[in-house]
Parts: sequence; structure tokens; C-alpha cells
Amino acid sequence: MTRNRLTLGLALALAIGLTACGGDDDSSGDSAGGPVELTFWHGYTEADGDVLEQLVDDFNASQDEVVISTEINPWDVIDDTLLPALSAGNGPDIVAMPAERLPVYADRGAFVELDDFYDDPDSNTAQLNPGAVEMVTVEGTRYGVPTGFVPLAMFYNKALFAAAGITEPPATWDDWVETARALTVDQNGDGTPEQYGAAIPDHATVANGVWPSLFYGGGGDIVEGGTDVVIDSPENRATLEFWYQAIAVDKISPTGVDGIAGDGLFSSGKAAMYLGGPWMASISEENGIDYGIAPVPAGPQAQAASAIGVSMAVTEQAGDDAVEAAEQFFSYFLDQENAVTWSLGSGWPPLRTDVAADAVAENPVVAALTEQAEFGRPLLPGVVNSVDVLTAVDELTQRAMAGEDIGTLLSEAQAEIESAVG
Amino acid sequence: MSLTAPRRRYRPPAPLGGRRVAPGGRRGGRRGATALAFLAPALLILTVFVAWPMLSALRTSFTDASGFGEAEWVGFDNYVQVFTDPDLFDAVRNTLWYTVLFTPTAVIAALVLALVLNSPALPFRGFFRTALFVPFVVSLAVAAYAWTYLIDPQVGLLNHWLGGVGLQLGNVLEDPQLAMPAVALVAVWKNFGFYLVIFLAGLQDIPGSLYEAAKVDGAGPWRRFTNVTLPLLSNTLAFVLVFAMIAALQAFDQIYVMTGGGPYGNTQTIVMEIYESGFRKLELGFASALSYVLLIATLLLSVLQFVFFGRREKDTQ
Repeated sequence: MTRNRLTLGLALALAIGLTACGGDDDSSGDSAGGPVELTFWHGYTEADGDVLEQLVDDFNASQDEVVISTEINPWDVIDDTLLPALSAGNGPDIVAMPAERLPVYADRGAFVELDDFYDDPDSNTAQLNPGAVEMVTVEGTRYGVPTGFVPLAMFYNKALFAAAGITEPPATWDDWVETARALTVDQNGDGTPEQYGAAIPDHATVANGVWPSLFYGGGGDIVEGGTDVVIDSPENRATLEFWYQAIAVDKISPTGVDGIAGDGLFSSGKAAMYLGGPWMASISEENGIDYGIAPVPAGPQAQAASAIGVSMAVTEQAGDDAVEAAEQFFSYFLDQENAVTWSLGSGWPPLRTDVAADAVAENPVVAALTEQAEFGRPLLPGVVNSVDVLTAVDELTQRAMAGEDIGTLLSEAQAEIESAVG
Repeated sequence: MSLTAPRRRYRPPAPLGGRRVAPGGRRGGRRGATALAFLAPALLILTVFVAWPMLSALRTSFTDASGFGEAEWVGFDNYVQVFTDPDLFDAVRNTLWYTVLFTPTAVIAALVLALVLNSPALPFRGFFRTALFVPFVVSLAVAAYAWTYLIDPQVGLLNHWLGGVGLQLGNVLEDPQLAMPAVALVAVWKNFGFYLVIFLAGLQDIPGSLYEAAKVDGAGPWRRFTNVTLPLLSNTLAFVLVFAMIAALQAFDQIYVMTGGGPYGNTQTIVMEIYESGFRKLELGFASALSYVLLIATLLLSVLQFVFFGRREKDTQ
């Protein structure tokens, strides 16, 4: 095994070592005549990728000063590719990445500040969803432009609902649990239901958003303002106790489920309700599930859902010309017409608040999600060490659903997260 | 009765033409140059891809490098952090637990099966040897994905089959007690074929006459194993043990795929920590320092093992 696989430490060293071999090949164009050439890395690989390529082509054709070429780097390996590329001086000029990954790069000085761009009235940023802008803001400075912002939504199985005589998706937590109990079926009475009313993952949830959504609903939060840790609150305690009762005692959902297993439970018809991202629509269609989309039911304190975000930023390796060229592309990307094209093509709701739901009515999923856009809250905005914070939240929720003492767990999570953001 | 291992001693090749060439002489110099020319490609690759990055990582480990921008010299801060970070204690404990689960299991399984496969009476020996070696050829990440689906509590085949006889496996990878044994077993399944081949080679080096002599002296199968096979296999065993232990200390691939370090960080190993610090938190200085501490710890443990086996070998002589 060791023979053909270097230790990861060595691989890491290699990544650093390649700095020397990387040279100073500057990928951004210079001003010696000709258009400015930009490279743009993104992870949009499905229909959304085709639409993005089309937008880039249209932008390239619309003027003759800037030419952007794109390169696909899937979201889950973007860190593994971007870090060596940046350290070798071979990184892209523009990079899109999951929004919760942006602050750590911004904090380490990898990205260009974009405050001046936002202040420019021609930048088309004034109408952006404020939550989406918050997720690219670190310590008051904006480092990116959102390309996607969508709150988690409830997907429900219409066939299972009809079979149980239920016509409306639940609107509140109490409804949610009651509906789920009606939809939980244990035919052979062995204590393990064959069909669950809901699939509520207790760790590694979709975009890490399920528990933040529930905490918001109960009036709590995790970190406020990037550094103020507020997870150990009576509100969060009540939320965890409520869901412990529903999941572990009433068994409306299997325990020990993660986001991937949750997708599987819903798409195989074993769970009737599930919190997911826009892609659950196509997954459901592929698996022949007749689904409906509803907002995350309102908690006792608030109706809110954690948002899945993607943002793009300009790397420090881009020269002044390249930064200006990238900003030109951003304002093109964010103008009203392109915002609608992008929304319809990507299946995500429009990033601008001035695009009404009927402008995207031709795509019912987008229309449904657009109506929910107001519930979306960015996940851990401005938190640099989101890795450790999310690990602590996962540990908290997984242990809490396994029946450990919630008060102790909350104070442990509080200490853990404080040391992570401190 | 005592048996001595037949030692293969290195004999320098006889000088050409029977003439002894003085070291450093003209001929020796040219042969040295020829040797160096043959070695050059490998040395160049080792220098560029191993030695240089290692030195570079050593330098990085004394800085607060993030992979880009300016890095500042921070002295031993990263090393101090390595020895004081409470999360790392857990990672060290997990790695040792994994090593204890993986190393003896893989080595004993390989040794037992090598003994079985070495018996001339066994039919289809070639087939079994190949079949047991195949998992080693598969990438560990691929094997990990396959096993994840096999033992999945909802859709897993293994659970389906066990369900047929009334057994339930449960959600192994989400169980804090079972997750580590599960990921260790996948590595055992994947790697023991390689150790097995090494053991087979070692076994075939043992002269049959020794077994015959032992038989004549009245030694049963167990005596023959403990007094002939084991002593003559001790070099191979030492090599395999050190190899398996190093592999265990570097556990990463299948853990990354199967549990991501969970549940509750119970499968978070040192190399997982290195990956997270380096590639997720962009703390390359700390990750490099941790890599160096792991490297030195691995070296020390390997040296200890070789010393132990070296002494044992002397005792048996």
C-alpha cells in the first residue's frame, strides 16, 4: 500500500513543493494590446453548466475587451484543486465555490475585496438578495458575488400523502410531526417502521442546513456576526428536545441518517417528507416520485430555512486589468435579463429581489422556490473556521438524537465552537 | 534441537579478470560514473518529488503558510500546537486503536492463509492465490464505496442476506463503537492479499529438507510451525509487520469515503486531521508540522520493531 501511495503528508509537501515548479506563468492577460483573458473555474456540471457556458459565451461576444474561458472543477474537490493551484501561482482569475468555503479563503488573503464594485451603481448589485450578499461578506468587506442562494425546502411525496388522506403539506412544526406520525407505518409491528413520515438527518445534512433551519425556527442560532457564539441557548435546547421526542421517541424518522441516506430514503419512497435542495426535484422525477414543494414549516418562533449558497470571487493572482474585467462580467451576469436566464437554467431562484415569481413561472420548481426566497438565511456568514463549527454542530445533533443529555451537549458545543471562531 | 537460519550473505562480485581494483582507481571511477548514470533518472525524480518537497514542508512547518500570499516565520508554534491541541489527542487515540485493529488482523489472516495456500495438497492453488490478491489491486477508495453500499442498513446486500437468516447488522458506520472496526476491516480485506504474497515467497524460501529432518526427529505440525517456519520467517514477518503498521498509521482513504471521520469524530485519524488542517482550514504550516510529527513517530516505531526482531533473531541462533 505504501509503495504506490505516498503518505498524505508527503502529498501535501508535494503540493507545496510544486510552487517551485509552477513558475510565474500569469494566466491573466496583460495590457499589451488584445483582449484581457480570464480563466473561470466553476463546478456546475448539469444543465446549469450549459446555461453558464452560454452566458459566458454571450458575454464574450457582447464586447471585445474581455475573453473568459471556463474550466469545470466539481464542488466537492474544489479545495483539493484550488489550493495547490493558488500556491503554484497557477490559479484561476475567477472561482466559484460553495459559499461557506469563501470566508476562510478571504481571511487568508486569497480573494480581492469587492466593496468598490458593490458601491458602483452600474454593478447591478443593488437589487441582490441581502442574505446572498451577507454570505460573501467577511468582517464587513464583500469578497464575492453570489451565483446561487436557495433556502432548503420541504419535498413531500404526494402519493403517500394521498394514500393517508392528507391533502396539505404541514405549515407548522406541530403539523409536521402530526402529519409524519400519520405517515409512519410499521406493518409487522416489530418497532422498526417500513415507511417513515419524514427523513430528518442528524448529521452531514444537505448543505449542513437542516439543523440550522430548525434552530432558527425555534428562535435560536449558532454564531452571530461571525464571532458571537450563541448555540447554548434555551431556544436551541427546546428545539433539540422537541425533535428528540419526534425522531427518537415517536420514530417519525430513522436515526443515524446523513444527507446522502436521506436523499435515498425520499427518492425510494421510504420517507414521505424531506428537507432538500432544488436537485431533489430532478432526483424525484428520475425515481418516479410524484413530489410537491413547500416551505420548511414554521417553528414556534420563526419561519426560516438555511440557504445553500454558491459564490464566485476574484483571486489575488488576477492583475488590475483582470479584476476590472471580472467585475465587468459580474455586472453582466447580474443584470435583470441574465439573472432570469440563469435562474431558469440553473433551477435556482433568481438572485435579484426584483424578479417576481411569475417571471420564472415557466419552471414550476423555480417559481415555488422563488416564493420561499424570503425565508432563506445564509449559513454561518463571515465564519472563517466553518469546518470546525459544522463538525461541532454535527456532533451535537447526532449525540442529542442518540439520547445523550442535551444540556451537557450544548455547553460542550458552545465551548468547541468558541475555540473554533475565537 | 536448535535450527539456524540459512543466512544469505552479500558477496561482492569477483573483480573482472581476477584483478583487484583499488577503490577510487580509474576503473572504479568509471564504474561509479556508469552506476550513477543508471541511477540518475530515479535520483532526479526522488529529489524533485520526495526530498525537495520534504525539505519544503519542513520549512513550511515553521511558518503560518496558507498556501498563498506571504507566510510568516512562527518558530515552533505549530509544533507546540500539535502537542497541546485536545482534538489531536483524540486523533492519536483513534489512530492507535485503528492500528491495533488493523495490523494483527491483517498479518495473522495473511499468515494463516499463506500457510494453507502453501500446502501442496490444496487443489486450485493458483486460483485461490489470485482471488485473494485481487482486492489489493482495487483502489482503496473504490473498495470503500463498494463496502459502504454492501453494509448500508437500508439498501445493503449484506443486510438483506443476513435478514434472510434473521440477523441484523444495524447501521454499522453510524455506530460509535462499530465504525472503527468496520473501516479497519475494509482495509484488512483490501491489503492482506499483498502480505499474503510476501509470506508465500518467504515460505517457499524455507528448504523442505528442514521439515523432513524435523519430522524424522518426531516434531508434529505445531512444533514444525513454531520451530521451523516461524524462526525462518521472522525476517519476512518483521517486514510485513512494519509495513502493515505504517499503512495503519496512514489510514485515510476508506475513512474519508466511508465515515468522513464520524460518528462524532470517532474515526478521525491523524492523517484525516492533516488533510482537514491543510486543505479545508488552509493551515498548511500546522498540517506540515503534524505531518513531520507523524513521520518521526512512524520512524521511531519502525526502528523499535526492527530492533525487537533483530534481538529475537539473535536469541534463536
